[in-house]
Amino acid sequence: MEEKIAKIKENLKQELKKDLKEADILNIKSMYVGKKSEIQELLASLKDMSVEDKRKYGSLINSTKKELEELINKKLEDMENKLDISFDDTVDYEVKTGSLHPVTIVAKEVTDILKRMGFTVVSGPEMETEYYNFEALNIPKDHPARDMQDTYYLDNGMLLRTQTSDNQIHAMEKYGAPLRICAPGRTFRNEDLDANHENTFFQIEGMVIDKGVSTPNLMYVMECVLSEVFKTDVKVRLRPGFFPFTEPSYEMDISCVMCGGKGCPTCKNEGWIELIGCGMVHPNVLRAGGIDPDVYTGFAFGIGLTRLAMMKYKINDIRYLNSGDIRYLKEFKI
Amino acid sequence: MLISCNKLKSYINKDAKIDWLKIWDIFTIRTAEVESVKEVGNSFDNVVVAEIMECENHPDSDHMHILKVDIGDKDYIQVVCGAPNVRVGLKTAYVKVGGHIDGREIKARPLRGVMSNGMCCSGRELQISDNHDGIIELPQDFKNGSDIKDLLPIQDIIVEIDNKSLTNRPDLWGHLGIAREICAITGNKLLPIDTLEIKNDKEDLDIKINSTFCSRYCGLKIKNITNNKTPLDMQIFLYYVGMRSISLLVDLTNYLMLELGQPMHAFDARVVKNIEVGLANDNDTFTTLDGVERTLTSDILMIKNGDKYFGIAGIMGGLDSEILPDTTEVFLESANFNAGVIRRGAVKLGLRTEASARYEKSLDPNMTDFALKRLAYLLKQENKDMIITSNLTDIYPEKLKEEEILLDKKTLETYMGFTLSDKEVVNILESLGFKVKVNKDNYLVTVPTFRATKDIKIKEDLIEEIERLYGLEKFQPKPLKLDLISKELDNIFNEEIDVKKILATKFDMNEVHSYIWFDSGLLKDLGIVKDNVKILGKDTNNILRDDLSLSLIDIVKENFKNYNSFQIFEIGTIIVNNENKRVLSIILADEDKNLESIYNKLKMVIKYLFKVYKNKDISFKENESVKEYYNKVLSKIVFVDNKIIGEINVLNKSLVSKIAKKKIVVMADIDFDLFVNLDKNNILAKEISKYPTVSLDYTIKLDNKKYEYLESILKEFKSNLIQSYELMGIYQDKYTIRYVIGSKNKTLEQKDIQNFKERFMEYVKNKELIIEE
Repeated sequence: MEEKIAKIKENLKQELKKDLKEADILNIKSMYVGKKSEIQELLASLKDMSVEDKRKYGSLINSTKKELEELINKKLEDMENKLDISFDDTVDYEVKTGSLHPVTIVAKEVTDILKRMGFTVVSGPEMETEYYNFEALNIPKDHPARDMQDTYYLDNGMLLRTQTSDNQIHAMEKYGAPLRICAPGRTFRNEDLDANHENTFFQIEGMVIDKGVSTPNLMYVMECVLSEVFKTDVKVRLRPGFFPFTEPSYEMDISCVMCGGKGCPTCKNEGWIELIGCGMVHPNVLRAGGIDPDVYTGFAFGIGLTRLAMMKYKINDIRYLNSGDIRYLKEFKI
Repeated sequence: MLISCNKLKSYINKDAKIDWLKIWDIFTIRTAEVESVKEVGNSFDNVVVAEIMECENHPDSDHMHILKVDIGDKDYIQVVCGAPNVRVGLKTAYVKVGGHIDGREIKARPLRGVMSNGMCCSGRELQISDNHDGIIELPQDFKNGSDIKDLLPIQDIIVEIDNKSLTNRPDLWGHLGIAREICAITGNKLLPIDTLEIKNDKEDLDIKINSTFCSRYCGLKIKNITNNKTPLDMQIFLYYVGMRSISLLVDLTNYLMLELGQPMHAFDARVVKNIEVGLANDNDTFTTLDGVERTLTSDILMIKNGDKYFGIAGIMGGLDSEILPDTTEVFLESANFNAGVIRRGAVKLGLRTEASARYEKSLDPNMTDFALKRLAYLLKQENKDMIITSNLTDIYPEKLKEEEILLDKKTLETYMGFTLSDKEVVNILESLGFKVKVNKDNYLVTVPTFRATKDIKIKEDLIEEIERLYGLEKFQPKPLKLDLISKELDNIFNEEIDVKKILATKFDMNEVHSYIWFDSGLLKDLGIVKDNVKILGKDTNNILRDDLSLSLIDIVKENFKNYNSFQIFEIGTIIVNNENKRVLSIILADEDKNLESIYNKLKMVIKYLFKVYKNKDISFKENESVKEYYNKVLSKIVFVDNKIIGEINVLNKSLVSKIAKKKIVVMADIDFDLFVNLDKNNILAKEISKYPTVSLDYTIKLDNKKYEYLESILKEFKSNLIQSYELMGIYQDKYTIRYVIGSKNKTLEQKDIQNFKERFMEYVKNKELIIEE
């Protein structure tokens, strides 16, 4: 009996190895596990066997039948999965993608970092009053920064803002202290265009006001932003600076990523690039925003987003940025 | 500004250990930005003092001479020289054979047949002056054969400091101020400098100040000045820091400016009657020292002599009071003028001078008399017999006094984030010239007037001094304490990013940035006249944009040079009715045959944005007031919640053909301020029917009507079986509409479906439209 069963199994395996069509397999199926198949007959013969034999062969025959069915079904599935492939499966088309402006990408990166540190993103007007752009920021009437040659004054008595610092005053007026805001935006200076100078560029302003805010706090925030934007270790240098709206004021330089600090046209051969102006908020600015400088201190910073984007993506001519030339801009994937 | 390290050394205690090449890295992070550090005086070697002992004409030359020079050796050396000033007894600089000048080795060689062993040099050849009129003339007390580098300050380190980073530091516009800063950084002592004490036992000069813009005017008259030759070491110094040596009197005024930062002026005393300082009259003219006639205005401060203009105060002297070669008596001016007046005057006249650059920083009025005494001292070194003929006349209506600032220790600690000892604070402030009284809770700081005119006014200014000299690099960054206070949020930036991302990723568009003003050339080409807010003092590109899409046409034009079709967008500011407005502009540009598809795509993109971000439907309506450069029919107003939020437009074909052939440009402008302020419609979960739905497609022929009409009809058709209907497609004038019908309570039976079909077909036919199932 065992031999007989083994033989059936072996025969089926041989049969299935042949080159078969679906109909052939169905024939095999009815031959091996159909009503008139050998295994079925063996199963039928069980009832005539002794109790001992029934016990001995019953489960063997049943499991063999199951095994035969599985073999055949497997063959059928393989047959079904065999696709008729009549196309070139090595074809490789280019993906078509849109792009974000490099400054947008960098602005998003910086604001994302700042948002995680609890900063609110705000935005201010590009056409601004002299009050918000200068007076309230402790830039008196006589200050050289207010000269015609640097500022675009308008015939309606307003101007195109020369810095995003106007947001400091707007934010203090709107939210009061404590405060933690950042404000990316477009700014304007009356400059002749060349590879390094634009009259329209982006900055991001940041401001924190609270009780006990210190210079080391400012440094911490700046370090987080820079190390995250550049992902590598950039060297940072803090040195005294002068801005009317902060006191003390600092300039933060980073080692030039174009040349690694050796000196190149981008860094004017100095190895360092001025990237961030920052400082502790001047008491007069706090007062202009309605905040008591005897109770609160704060820091503020302005990062050149355009410059940052140029450093990050190694853009060597600032004029590409406002050119709208898709050939250039299409590289900047989000 | 150029700084000579030799000069700095002369002000600092002699035993100071300062690495003059490296100190500037520290100076940059303590004080001001250094742009370059250059060693000078290394362009030559083996140059010694040589005395001309014999001088003969060269037989084969009309200008060369054959010299025998003594360089301290046993024998004289024969040199051929072409300089005109050769003469027996002259001491000059001589390069030995084998020595170098500017990298070139000097060899013994015949010059027109006569052997020349070495070379005599001019100041320019040695790169210590720009004089090339003859060989350099050295003082008689220089020993023959001595290396001239041992006798003159030729080897030096010249440092360029970024002027911009000194804007706020009037005290650093002279070498003495820089030396003071170096002392404070390195812990060394500033030496006192010599001045001439002037006894005021003569007559005062006739000086009057008629304007508050002049806070002090000091004058002094000196006669019997016979030697007007500048000593060599001063000449070299002036040359190294970028000044031309002219004559002793002129050089001394420049020298004082470079030393103390105090501009001075020397007039030929022969022409001085009485001095008055006052404002000019409009339209008067005046010829300055450089020979240029200048037209004055009533806000320019002038020095007058008698009733004539004499000089432009703080900017430049006049041509007719110049020091001449035969000048032996001078009137010296050392004055202080208002920074703003000088700055505006210099800008107005287009005449920014070394003097005006300093005055516009707000100089300390207390140094004018000191500078005069110093000049007199230096002048006397070269003119032992000079005679002071007047009092040091000092008109100083309101003396600037030293102010005191109270710096409380608690504020200092708050700013720095850590505590400094009293000793550290006092050391730092005293090294910078402040006087400090230490109290229990505060420091009472007296500010020297040379720091008080501009940058030190409040306690925070003192904190900056302490921080920077303590060393910013020693600060340890400290995280902010985060109080989780939820504030009202300004969402515009976040929504801008969201929308930009969708446009770039889902619709493959490219974001561009442009300018806030119209390109006037393009407007002219397109024949469009715009009137809006204008930028003053600018002749082109001076009209601010009131239409974002139109302002992007320039970019469209450029891109058509490289692409047949493209899609760009920007979120930017426009100015409408004197107000800022944020606008999203989307522009699709393509070949004109694709008008229908890009027009519909644009509508779809906008619809998508409102659906996704605001869960709102929008509608497009006829535009009653289309701008003249847009197509009248295709221009539509975009409505949301029954309010206007934007428009779509198609640039007129006649304009497009001016920038590209056979192209079409469609554009949308969405008011982004309104978009951000739209509340998102609530999203509510919807029950799904347990029973199956049935889709029914109908084709409706519209003849000359538009979908807008069909939709209005469909909207009117009511049945509680309708789940939804939508436009599936258009073929010629046949519109395919798909209805999905179903019931919440049961599976629809055939008769229900039939009923619906009949009712609907009947309804449409009644509207006189042809419908097919």
